[in-house]
Amino acid sequence: MDNNSENVQNRTLIAVGENGERNYEFQVKNQYEFSSKGRKLKVEMIEEADGINLFSCEGVRYPVEIVSVKQNTYEVVVNGVTYRYTVETPFSLKRRQILAAQKPVNENEELHAPMPGKIVTVHVKAGQDVNPGDPLIVLEAMKMQNTLTATSKGKVVAVNVREAQNVSKDDLLVEIKKA
Amino acid sequence: MIKSLLIANRGEIAIRIARTAKRMGIKTYAIRTKKEPNAVYLQKVDKVVDFPDTGSQVPEFLDIKNLVKLAVDNNIEAMHPGYGYLSENPDFAAACREAGIVFVGPSPEIIHALGDKIVAKEIAKRSNVPMLGGTLGGIPTAEEAIAEANRIGYPVIIKAATGGGGRGMRICRKEEEVSINYELCTQEARTAFNDPTVFIEKYLENPKHIEVQIVADKYGNVIHLGERECSIQRKHQKLIEEAPSPALDEALREKITGAAVRLAQEAKYESLGTVEFLLDANHNFYFMEMNTRIQVEHPVTEMITGLNLVELQLLIASGEKLPVSQSDVKLNGWAIECRINAEDVQAGFTPSIGMIKNLRLPSNNCIRIDSGVRVGTEITPFFDSMIAKLIVHGQTREEAIKIALHSLGHFVVTGVKTTIPFDKAVLHNEVYRKGDFNTSFIETCMDSLVWHEEHEELIAALLAVSYYNHDSDFSGDSSEQPEPNVDPWVLQKRIRHL
Repeated sequence: MDNNSENVQNRTLIAVGENGERNYEFQVKNQYEFSSKGRKLKVEMIEEADGINLFSCEGVRYPVEIVSVKQNTYEVVVNGVTYRYTVETPFSLKRRQILAAQKPVNENEELHAPMPGKIVTVHVKAGQDVNPGDPLIVLEAMKMQNTLTATSKGKVVAVNVREAQNVSKDDLLVEIKKA
Repeated sequence: MIKSLLIANRGEIAIRIARTAKRMGIKTYAIRTKKEPNAVYLQKVDKVVDFPDTGSQVPEFLDIKNLVKLAVDNNIEAMHPGYGYLSENPDFAAACREAGIVFVGPSPEIIHALGDKIVAKEIAKRSNVPMLGGTLGGIPTAEEAIAEANRIGYPVIIKAATGGGGRGMRICRKEEEVSINYELCTQEARTAFNDPTVFIEKYLENPKHIEVQIVADKYGNVIHLGERECSIQRKHQKLIEEAPSPALDEALREKITGAAVRLAQEAKYESLGTVEFLLDANHNFYFMEMNTRIQVEHPVTEMITGLNLVELQLLIASGEKLPVSQSDVKLNGWAIECRINAEDVQAGFTPSIGMIKNLRLPSNNCIRIDSGVRVGTEITPFFDSMIAKLIVHGQTREEAIKIALHSLGHFVVTGVKTTIPFDKAVLHNEVYRKGDFNTSFIETCMDSLVWHEEHEELIAALLAVSYYNHDSDFSGDSSEQPEPNVDPWVLQKRIRHL
């Protein structure tokens, strides 16, 4: 055990699901001992000879991968399934809830290319109203045509690509002002 | 027997072909392309030849002229096209023949005839194989299209005679829709396939997709190797296949395989081939098309027959007689194939691009894995997303499902997302397990497209929290520093310092 461990003893951390996952609250005893709803959870990270990371919880091992960390948001893969959790303290969670209540939800939706590929079809033009699920762009990669759809109701502000154009991953394709 | 073979393909199928050809004493050649100069398939052959730097925009494995030239220049006797690419292109088969190279597949004339849906329907009609009504020829005008559609009964589908890949097809649900769809389909057929001919047939809602494996030699011997069930599809892409099909009883199996054999005989077919049928809810089956190549899902047939389809294909191409008769073919147990694609199922099956960081394959006596990747392989947008196939064999369907689930649980890929959690969700699904499903299964029968193991969500939350806990502990409030794509090795180091 290191000397810092006292700082974190018995604090509470909350994992907030960002993709529809349920929230979980944990009491932190130390680096590898947690509890949730009174149930003790002893964890360990094991690196196997072939490089695969196994996360062990109460002796049960799960193959895991940390895909990305952005601030306190973690995209993790367990058994090949992706989960996205933001870790909050009780204080930061409260702050987050207050901010969310104050801020009107009116951010623009930006559609970025999820992968490099070629634009096959542009279904919308600037000024057009769209609903969730409406097709915006058809992007071809790996010989497959992928239809990218709107996730919210709104008006198309800008279409930044044209048909037959090649795009890189994360290129901004369409901007939508949420209704 | 042929002595040398150029494999005009890549990935798992190139490896699978090389494995059998080498065992048969054939010298195998693979083609190295600039897009993946270190691919696994290049290590599994006797000799590698480089695709010439042509500066052409045509993808290497579609470049007929240069592929044939590679075979000629290297004095290679035969060409195996694998699946996809040029495997069903009559011009490729013809170019091989003209250059004196043995094409492993049927003649250009047969490929051409069966590739034209109207000609294929004529063959089916002559061999008394049921079809979805419709015409036996192209429809010359919109008026005739309407008359024919009314005669068949709605819904109908208008199809391009030389179409494929899900393109050049339009469904009409009432009379008013026929005229406009006829015009659109004709235009599409002209621009996409350079042939405006279209025909009309009955459209079957949510059928089952059943196909029969055919093997025929050059001496008129035609046998079938049973059927495969391929109804688990998404956008016409098969994802899980099995043999036999739970939808057939012995009587129906005899009818459908008999129809496939008659059709192959009538077509004077030679080599491996697959006759595809649609099966409706009342167990009526209808001829759809015949594929003139080896199929992705051929291993399930190999598992239940004990026969090696590539070996048969190479023997037939060499002019040998079929070494087995119909009565030698025994179907034993049940086989299931799960395709493992580099796709993010939770993001709508979008291709997952990146490097395979870790790969752990399950192993036991009842499974086979056909794969074209290893640790370090880059998954690029240039190629198909399929990275591996898991094929399992059990004495019963129930046992095969159990083995498949167990094996998928021990199949670990990191670096890219895969369809493994999707495959698990299908195999756990009650409708799938009962065996009564059709091509609408994914849209209508699945609550979740990925399978969540017990406590998995809690474990994911705990992993995030424990990572955050280490992080905030060592470097103050490092949670404010954006840290994209943390390498698991870094994480590992941090954990070792505990």
